[in-house]
This record gives sequence, structure tokens and C-alpha cells, in this order.
Amino acid sequence: MMQLRIYNIFYGIAALVLLSFSIQAVPWSQLTAEQLAQQLEQKFAEGKYSKKGADTCLMCHKKSDTVMALFDGVHGQENNAKSPMAGLQCEACHGPLGKHNKGGKEPMIAFGKDSQLDAGSKNSVCLGCHNDPKQMAWHSSSHNLDEVACVDCHQIHTAKDPVMDKMSVNDTCTSCHAEVKAAMNKRSSHLLKWDHMSCIDCHNPHGSMGESALNQITVNDTCYSCHAEKRGPFLWEHAPVTDNCASCHNPHGSVNESLLNSRAPQLCQQCHMDDGHASRVVPQDGQDAFGGGKSCLNCHSQIHGSNHPAGSKLQR
Amino acid sequence: MRYKLNLITLALVSVSGSAMAADFSVNKANTDGVNADKFQCKRCPDTTGYRGSVELGAAYSDSDDIHSANALNSEDGTHGVLNADVQYRGKTGYQAKAQAINLGLANSRAHLEAGKVGSYQAELDYRQLSQYQHDNAKSNLWYADGTLTPSAQVQAQELSLKRKQMGMGLSAGHQWGEQNYQVFARYSQEEKTGYQSASMVTPRPINFGKPFDATTDKLTSGLSISGQNWLTSLNYQYSEYDNQIESLSLPYLADIYAPAPDNSAYQLSLSGQYLFNRTAISTQLATGRMIQDAAVIQTTGNPIQNWDGQVDTTDGKLAITSVLDNRLRLGGSVSYSKRDNKSSVWEFAQLESDGISGAFKQNVLLDTEKLNYKVNVSYRINSDYRLQAGFDREELERSHSAREQTDESTVWTKLDIRSFANSKLKLKASFSQRDGSQYQASGLTSSIENPLLRKFYLADRDRSAFEAKFNHALADWINVSLIGRYAEDDYSDTALGLTSSKDYSYNLNADMQFDKQLSGYAFAGQQWIESKQNGSQSFSTADWSADVDDEFINLGAGMNYTGLMQDKLNLGLDYLFSNSNSDKQVVYTTTQPQGDYYSYNHSVEMYANYLLSDLMAVRLGYRYERYYDTDNAQVDVNAIDGLTTLGKLNHNYNAHQVMLSFSYQLR
Repeated sequence: MMQLRIYNIFYGIAALVLLSFSIQAVPWSQLTAEQLAQQLEQKFAEGKYSKKGADTCLMCHKKSDTVMALFDGVHGQENNAKSPMAGLQCEACHGPLGKHNKGGKEPMIAFGKDSQLDAGSKNSVCLGCHNDPKQMAWHSSSHNLDEVACVDCHQIHTAKDPVMDKMSVNDTCTSCHAEVKAAMNKRSSHLLKWDHMSCIDCHNPHGSMGESALNQITVNDTCYSCHAEKRGPFLWEHAPVTDNCASCHNPHGSVNESLLNSRAPQLCQQCHMDDGHASRVVPQDGQDAFGGGKSCLNCHSQIHGSNHPAGSKLQR
Repeated sequence: MRYKLNLITLALVSVSGSAMAADFSVNKANTDGVNADKFQCKRCPDTTGYRGSVELGAAYSDSDDIHSANALNSEDGTHGVLNADVQYRGKTGYQAKAQAINLGLANSRAHLEAGKVGSYQAELDYRQLSQYQHDNAKSNLWYADGTLTPSAQVQAQELSLKRKQMGMGLSAGHQWGEQNYQVFARYSQEEKTGYQSASMVTPRPINFGKPFDATTDKLTSGLSISGQNWLTSLNYQYSEYDNQIESLSLPYLADIYAPAPDNSAYQLSLSGQYLFNRTAISTQLATGRMIQDAAVIQTTGNPIQNWDGQVDTTDGKLAITSVLDNRLRLGGSVSYSKRDNKSSVWEFAQLESDGISGAFKQNVLLDTEKLNYKVNVSYRINSDYRLQAGFDREELERSHSAREQTDESTVWTKLDIRSFANSKLKLKASFSQRDGSQYQASGLTSSIENPLLRKFYLADRDRSAFEAKFNHALADWINVSLIGRYAEDDYSDTALGLTSSKDYSYNLNADMQFDKQLSGYAFAGQQWIESKQNGSQSFSTADWSADVDDEFINLGAGMNYTGLMQDKLNLGLDYLFSNSNSDKQVVYTTTQPQGDYYSYNHSVEMYANYLLSDLMAVRLGYRYERYYDTDNAQVDVNAIDGLTTLGKLNHNYNAHQVMLSFSYQLR
């Protein structure tokens, strides 16, 4: 009986050691990034795929909830001809098995946060299939130039990738763009902080052929896609408005009302200094019609343009 | 899917090792030894059938200010809520999905889609967006049928906007030989209604609630064809804005205000990408037109019934990026954008004379033409250090402008350090200089603008910006990031107008995972924006100045605890504080103290989620919103002679919301 107890303790310790080893590190974690990439390229070029596909992999990895969650998502569907599961299955993304299943000492292409593989190599797996218009500008995008990996934002082994959900995509974007996360909480902002709007309403994180990874080619076209009433063209135009909405507004948020970079009358007086009332000093807000109510916009309320025949001063 | 033995890759790898980022795309795989018929997945779970969740609940909000509905997503009172996320997967690839998010509340959406994966799909969308400004604007002007009718007494008016969008779309795809074809079409319609603060001149200025009742229709469609190394896409989009309110009149002043006119716009774009080894070439050409030919208000001195407003746009871009080896990457792009206003020009009688340009004015057609060049280089010093640098230039021409051309050149550099004392560090610096053609007031404005003025978006400007991002894993359970930014604009040639601006900030964030059950976060950030400008009311050199100092602070913390009551109870808490402040100091003979302009909010959310069974759960949530804002420019209706306002539109409230819901999992 005593002997059995000793064996049990021994086996328990051995199991714990093995378990902790498997959690803390994989056998190839000691390789440098270059050595790892070289081994993986060698394996990829040799193309020694398993005989039975996913079943070979699941012999060992079926116990992992994360691994099995793949089948809840689109990448785990066998009946979708474009899904990896309809082709090389697990090895379509993780590379050929080689001798990985013989002791688990040979590396596979891994994507997790502990993977030493460079972003470009990881991304090549995704881009092999995702060659569509949404990714057309990826190669020259700022995310690609900054070596952001697809898996830094996307999750594959899940029923629902959070970044594909409009109620949670903002969390993913602001996990890096902290200044934008803060700006959402300013006095005026778009409806981003409550997820009523999302970053991808305006931006394409995969890059775009327009400015600032915007969904439309220009800043103004992006604004017009929701604010069509400001598109015009108007009979009487206001030059900075046709030029760039961002000259006066910060779409991510402002300490001023209406997303304005500065308040009237000072904002207006950064461009208008005539020999009439526009140059008038307004020493204190709320004292007269120049600094009270809507300030300059008390009279020039059609600041985005007027279509009134007598509206040259943007008053009507 | 095409598999082929890539002997060249194998040879290169064997000889030279890792030459650059590897290409592991499946279409480059060596599958000569694969017998796909033997690939099996007997161990794969069957995920066909229905799955998802449906949640029904009720929210009770208690608030005396409708502005709280922005944060609580519902107006005062009790509202039913439906959330659902259900999907069906058939065995042959057919699938359907139904989603509902906060249906019944002020901001909500729903989405239905069905089709066969990878072949075709149909979808329907609904979305409602609401934005609340105030429910106690004081006005005696009431809108009905194009007329703002004065009442004897001022009455409370709600200023809020609602958008309701309906959309539908179809998409299909097919693989013919080596090429993949995708086609889609989508139509949506949005109704925008409500009231927004505005003002008119009668000739004395009167603030009023401007009505909105407009519809925007959108159509987008596209065709794309892709091969292994290339992709091309043809897209068309059309948008039509239809305003139901064509003019606003007072009983004693007809057609005093012209709301936004009906307009339409289309854009046709052709894009392409080609991958040549490790070089990617992307290009896009787009042509568009914006048309506005709505009926023009008929007044004396107006020679036209409808204006033929037309702006043609042309945009193009060519971008190349090439990975030369495992250390060096080069990139560059050229883009062109033109706005060509082809509308007609007429002379219109103006009701006010400015004493200089006369009572008749011609409308001015504004054109812009922009050219951008960018080049960048990235060099990996070793596996931990990477240096980037680039040069950007923008040349922008504007017609009828005080400065016909502005040129801006920017040099920038970034240093990424991946392993700096077990941390990641990113440093960025950029310097830009804007100048251009001689600054001179154009014929249209030279007679009245002070010649010392430099409009801020045209003026010479030197901009310096620095940014540092630091990320550090303090321990297994805590990760900390700190971002610092500093930017300074110096308008070097400006005597009147904006002369300088500084913008600096930090954001500190900590994510914690204390154990399997307890996680938390905390963040803090501050930002300061300081700008200086000069003015002259003597039409001479500067005789007054204004310093505007903006300050913003943002704090937050939260936690989530799972695993109570045998893993059935989940508790969460979130707290957020933000304060936006703007101080002005105007100096004219003496320094005048300005009134308050700030806002702050405390937001608290608590929730408890209890699993009744594997499939059923109840959730109890509570939200609290404390909000305060003030603006010294807001004054009572008739507090200023000659001006009628909507009253003080400030906020000061405490709002509460309790939400109880029941959810059921489909498996």
C-alpha cells in the first residue's frame, strides 16, 4: 500500500512537472526568431503533411478548449470550400506536421502572443486566402508598415471574433490607440464611447487607398457619407469647409462643443480679421451678441454653406 | 486550390537560410505528398444546427434631463430590450444569422443574413442612432409646414436628432478556373428627423430649433476579380439627399432661411493590386460627381429658378512597397485629388450691403487640386531594433484663395525596440514645414481683410511632433502601457491670426489578471492644448490677443469577478471620470477673466450575471451617470440686447438606470 502511494506521488509530481513545462514553454521557445523562421521555412518547403489531416492533430490537441473552439467559427467549417478545414485543415495555417507529432519537439507555425515568428510571416498565412478588396491596401497600410500581425486584432479559434462585432471592435482598436479612447470621453464626440458607432464606420484597419485609412477616398467624402446635407455643392461655399472638415473639427472628440478645435469667436477670428466687426475683440463670453449664444453663428449660422440667393455671408 | 512543389524556395532556404519574412500562404504550399482524400475529421465536433443566445429584458431610467439618454441609451421611464445572436448552420453549407442589439432602446441595431458560405448571401439591416442635446430649449418659434410661427410665450423645446436606417444587400462569389469572382450590391435608406440649435437674422439674430426631416438613399455595388497574385475591383456608389424642408419662413418674412438643398453624388472607382515576389503594387482611379440642382428660393434679384451646381472629382493613387531582404523594406506612393467646381456663376442681389463690394455678388466656384508624394524606408537593425524613416510632401492648389498654393514637407522617423528591459518601446518624431505661394488676399477679399492676417490653414507653419509608447509586463498578472505625446505648431510668419499651438498628453493603462476569476483594469490620461492668437480691431498691427488653454483628464477603473457560487455568479464594476476644461484669456488693454467652460461626468456601471442553469441566466445591472457642463456664452433668452437665445443650454443632473434581463442559450 505504501509503495502504491509513493508511486502515485511520483506520478503526480511527474505529471505536474510535465504540465508546467508544457504551459510555460514549448521545446522550440529557446530558438531565436531567425532560427525558428528558418526551421519553419524548411518544413514548409519540404511539405511533409500528415496522413490524416485534422484527426492527427486532434489526437493530442482535442483536450484544449481553445483548439476546439475553431469549429465554432467560420475557419472550422468543412462544408465551406474556402475554409481551411475543406483543404489542408489544421496544417493549412499551422504548416506541415513533419515530425511534430513524434515527441512534439518540432515547431509548427504558431500565432499566439508567445510566438516568436515575425508579423510578416504570420500574416502571409492569412493573406494567402484573404486576397479581396477589403485587404487591397494592406501592404502599404500603416498597420503593415508597423508590423501589426492579423492575430494582434483577430481571433480565429472562437465562435465569434470580437473585432468582427461592432459592439466590441472599438475595444480592440483602443487597446493600442489609447489617445482615441480618451478622446471619446471629451465634452463632444461621436457616439463611440457607448459603441453606438464604431471606429470601422469611418476607418478600414486594413488600410485604404484614401487618406488616414478612411473608408472613403477623402476626409470630406467620409464625413458626407453620414452628413450628406453638408455635401452641397452650395451656391455660397465656405472655403475651409470644401477644403477639409478637419480644419475646424476633430472627429475623435474635443473639449469644445460640436467637435470644434476651438470655440467661436476665436476660431473664426483665426481666419477673419477685416476692418469691420470680425476683428472686434470679444473680451468675455456672454456679454454681447458677439460672445453670447452662438457667437459668430448667431448671424452666420450657415457656416457649412448657403443655398439662399442672398446668402453670400452665410447668414440665410 | 492549387498546390505545387516550390523547389526554388526549398533550394533558397537550404542555401541561404531565412532571407526575409517567410511566405506560408497555402497557395505556396508543397502538397506533392498530400493525399487529400485521406484527410479526415472524425474528431471534429458537429456544429450544425442552431446556436446562440436570446436575451429579453427591461430597463428603467430615472432622469430629469433627456441628455442622460446619450449615456443610458434610453429616455426617462421603462423600456423593453431585446438582444439576440442566433445562427443556423446546415450540413450542406447553408447558414443564417439573426442579431439584435438593444432593440427597444434609443440606439439599436438588427441584422439578418442568409446564404451559402462562399457562394451567395442576402442581408437586411436596421439601425437607429439618437443624439440628445437638450429638452428645455426656450423658444417662441414653432415649426409647421415650412413656417416658424411665433407664440406669445416661450415654450420648452426638445433638441435631439434621430436617424433610422434600413438596408439590404446581396453578394455572391464564384471560382472560375484560377480566378475568383465576387459581386455585391447594397441599398440603404436613412431618415433623419428632429431639431437642432440654429440661428437666423431677422435682421436681429434669433436662435431657434431648426427642424430636420430628410432622407438619404445610398446604393453601393462592386465587382472584384482576383487571381493568385493579383486583384482588381470596380466599385460604384451613389448617394441622394432629399430634404423635405425646402425653406423656412416667418409669417412676416418669407423664405428667410434656406435649409440644406437636395443633392446627389456618385463615384466610380477602379482599383487593382499586383504582387510581384515581395513587391506589392496597388493603384486606384476614381471619378465622381456631386450635383445640386434644387429649386432656389425666389427673391428679388435672383436670376435663376434652379442652380446647376456640379462638382467633379478625380482621385488617383499608386502605392508600391517592396521587401528587399530581411532587413530592408522600401515604400512609396503618389496620390492626386481634384475638386473641379463646374457650376454656373450668376449675380445675386444681397439683402445687406457691406459698403465695399456692393449689393450684388457673384457666387464663387472653389476648386482644389492636391498632389501627395510619400517615400518610406524600414531597416531592421537586429531582431529587437527596427528603424523607419520617411518623407511626405503635399502640394495643394486652391482657387480664389488668399494663398493659391501651399506646400508641406514632412520628415519622420520611428524606432521600435522590441526587447528593452523586458518591454517594448516605440519612439516617433516628425518635423514638417508648410509654405507656399505668396500670401496675398485675393481680389475677392483683399479689400477688407487685414493684410497682416494669415489664415491658419494657409499660413506658413513649422510643426514638430514626438511620441513615445512604452509597454511593460511588470509581472505575469499585470501589463502596463504608457504613451506620451508632444506636438508644437509655430506659425512663423503670422502677425494676426493663430500664432502657435501646443498639444501634449499622456495615457497610462494597466491590465491585470489577478487569478483565474478576478481581472481588472485602470487607466489615467491627461491632455493639454494651448493656443495663442492675435487680433487687430484697429485694422492695423495686433492690439489684442487671446490665449486658449484646454485641459482634459480621463480616469477609469474596473474589475470582473467570476466563479462565485460554484461558478454561477459573475460580478462586474466599471467607473469612468472625465473632465473637459477650456480657459480663455483675452488681453486688450487689460486681461479679462473669462467665464467657465467645462464639463465633467462620473459614470458607474455594476452588473451581476447569475447562471440559472447551463442554458439560462439572469442579469441585473445598474448604471449611474453624473453629468455637469457649463458655458458662459449660454445666456437667458433676452439677456443680451438684440439677441434672442434658446436660454441656458447647460446640464446638471444625476441619472440612474436599472436593467433586468433573462437570457437563454441555444446549443
